[in-house]
Amino acid sequence: MSKKMPLDGIIVADFTWVGAGPIATRFLSEYGAKVIKIETKSKPEILRMTGPFKDGIPGVDRSGYFSNRNPNKQSISLNMKHPKARDVAARIIEKSDLVINNFRPGVMEKWKLGYEDVKKIKPDIIFVTMSMQGSSGPHSSYMGFGATLNALVGFNHLSGFPDQPPFGTGTNYSDHVAVPTHTIFALMAAFRHRNKTGKGQFIEIPQSEAAICMKPVAVMDYAVNGREQSRIGNRHLNAAPHGVYRTSGDKRWIGIAVYNDSEWESLKNVMGNPAWANDPKFATKEGRMANQDQLDSMIEKWTSGQDGHELMQKLAGSGVRAGMVLNAKDMLEDPQMQARGHWVYLDHPEIGVSAYNGCPVHMSKTPAQYKTAAPLLGQHTEEVMKEFLNMDDREYKQLEADQVFA
Amino acid sequence: MESKTSPLADVRVLELAGEVGSCAGKMFADLGADVIHIEPPQGDPARAYQPFYKDVPSTEGSLEYQYFNTNKRGMVLDITTEEGKEIFLKLVKTADILIENERPGCLDQLGLGYSQLSAVNPKLVHVAITPFGQDGPYKDFPQSDLVCMAMGGFLYLAGKDDEKPSRAYGDQAYMMGSLYAAMGSIIALYHAEATGEGQFLDVSMQESVSTALENAVQYYDLEGIIRRSLIGAEAGYGTYPCWDGYVFVMAAMGKNRYLWDPFVDWLIEDKIEGAEVLRGDEWLDPLYRRKEESVETFKKIVEPFLMNKDKLFLYEESQRRKCCVFPVSSPKDVYNNPQLQYRKFFKTMYHEALGGEIHYPGPAYDMTEMKWELSKPAPVFGQHTSEILQELGYTPDQIAVLVKGGVVVVKEDAA
Repeated sequence: MSKKMPLDGIIVADFTWVGAGPIATRFLSEYGAKVIKIETKSKPEILRMTGPFKDGIPGVDRSGYFSNRNPNKQSISLNMKHPKARDVAARIIEKSDLVINNFRPGVMEKWKLGYEDVKKIKPDIIFVTMSMQGSSGPHSSYMGFGATLNALVGFNHLSGFPDQPPFGTGTNYSDHVAVPTHTIFALMAAFRHRNKTGKGQFIEIPQSEAAICMKPVAVMDYAVNGREQSRIGNRHLNAAPHGVYRTSGDKRWIGIAVYNDSEWESLKNVMGNPAWANDPKFATKEGRMANQDQLDSMIEKWTSGQDGHELMQKLAGSGVRAGMVLNAKDMLEDPQMQARGHWVYLDHPEIGVSAYNGCPVHMSKTPAQYKTAAPLLGQHTEEVMKEFLNMDDREYKQLEADQVFA
Repeated sequence: MESKTSPLADVRVLELAGEVGSCAGKMFADLGADVIHIEPPQGDPARAYQPFYKDVPSTEGSLEYQYFNTNKRGMVLDITTEEGKEIFLKLVKTADILIENERPGCLDQLGLGYSQLSAVNPKLVHVAITPFGQDGPYKDFPQSDLVCMAMGGFLYLAGKDDEKPSRAYGDQAYMMGSLYAAMGSIIALYHAEATGEGQFLDVSMQESVSTALENAVQYYDLEGIIRRSLIGAEAGYGTYPCWDGYVFVMAAMGKNRYLWDPFVDWLIEDKIEGAEVLRGDEWLDPLYRRKEESVETFKKIVEPFLMNKDKLFLYEESQRRKCCVFPVSSPKDVYNNPQLQYRKFFKTMYHEALGGEIHYPGPAYDMTEMKWELSKPAPVFGQHTSEILQELGYTPDQIAVLVKGGVVVVKEDAA
């Protein structure tokens, strides 16, 4: 008998696709919710068509990009362009607690499944929409992607080296944590509210706004001080030395951060107290902040040629904040990540056993559960129709023949 | 607006946290929870962080401290003293959630670990945010955002080819740990309210960061490829200069034509020299676009086009033409962004101790039934110590003794 999970009994009609949406509903499934992912075979979502693929061979059921975001979920194929599909969706929604999507504003409404429509099907429904920039305002209908959103909200301008064009994080950063975790936070408050009052509600998460909340200090600085912060590479406004330094090997670096005088003393000790480091101009934080070019070049001289892993052990063991810049291979092999059991290996009919992120929140009583790998496209159509909607065989066959599940 | 409720008004959160966990506490506070930010006598380290309000360094002026502590009550308490522990335990009894970012084992040594706290309050949700988690070979490594970014695999992606990586703005590893802590604790709260069962939540920042690697881990797992960033490594996908700064052009997308064609049409309509070259079918092949020569050709054609146009024009006009050019916004651009301005996203609040208004970003969510609001600025040092102690039953005389003993700090003019 499985332990009771926090979200046992919660049912999700999941219209999300690609990034932030599926990552959010993934969390719900990890803590016990039943997530029914509504897709269509006639137009598979972008991520199913985006690599990496098992053995490099493309296929809608072979993408590791898609799979990592969709474990535990059920997938049904429902062609929303078919007139009868709306009725099937409505029957799912009638038995659901949450309807969630991350389309551009208007898509759900076009299907007559906007909040006002859905409320008539299930009055206490919680309806979440995660549009790019919200549903009102001059840019509300703009198309965009995680990579472009990062530029829009300021990450790019502020990330990169000062003498180079703005680089950003190199990823679709805002998709991954900022938007999905904010979504779940609001949603859980809404579930709680519904338990107390019986009322559902409409929640909109503009992805741009959730991303700006990730640390808006530069914007606040502009608003109050008129200052325009810019890129500072690996430096920090409140610590020095603070950088990424080359070590031995190809594309190998170590990050070292010194926040105060005692950490500086520790670093000097590990470096063997070289004469340059004892220059009084480095003795105070102000002095170190003012002489970072020289500090960085001397430290890099010292790290270059050393084994980064050994260096990290030595530094961290002496109380210096230091860590290797790990790549994806390192991450899978990292002793700490392994000791924590972070990587979850799930068996998928086409991909076989592959690596998924576990949840970084380890709950002592109700740990995240991983029951099934990502679903094949439409894998659970029949099961959901017959077992969840109690559809009889005749009706199912008819809808199938009508191409509603295409 | 008035009919909306503060959805977490009946929740009490203790936050024994500085820069790492404050964001999680803020999320509760902004939805109405009673969040008590407990600072040690030396203060939350974020109070010393630049930039400051009007550039004047002071205990209250750090913008970072101000942002992350809105709507909270503040208490200064030395939990390493016997009296301090006693007060802390009394508070724990009244709390639903504790958020902390102490080193693993640190609270246990003080007699304030989860086993002791749950004995006092079995429903307590205790969330601990640490760099590497509570166990494992690196658990005692000292904390830094840079280290978590590096060890979480994220920093490696922030560069292409052999370039040295550059870290993300704004201590994002701390932010990720904090957001997961917020998400986990509200899920665990929901569980505790339904079952009476509290629990311990162990949040690792390294693991939090590792969830932001896009498809990099799967690339290695399934195809044996160790990838870095593709930004700038492919024609039509990356940052290009324009008249007043930079824009992010996203014209390339797999083997798809739908972003590429309208962008090229625009160049041709603008009579840009050489633009016809980009019509060729070879440009729809990602491998062709990734050739150094292609990257250079694209750049040479596009730069003269972009250089006489500004960011906002390129952004708005590209959307009209169904292609995708976004501004690389500076902080000023973000503040003045027409969409955010229309939505009145930025809020101001007067701060008495600073004698002026601070500008804050607004909520990450619009909700029909629930209220997100900024009702009070971050507490000044020791502002609510006395108030909270009185709620716990301490008399003014007892409080005076605690102040004298250095157990608590009470803001001088706060009676």
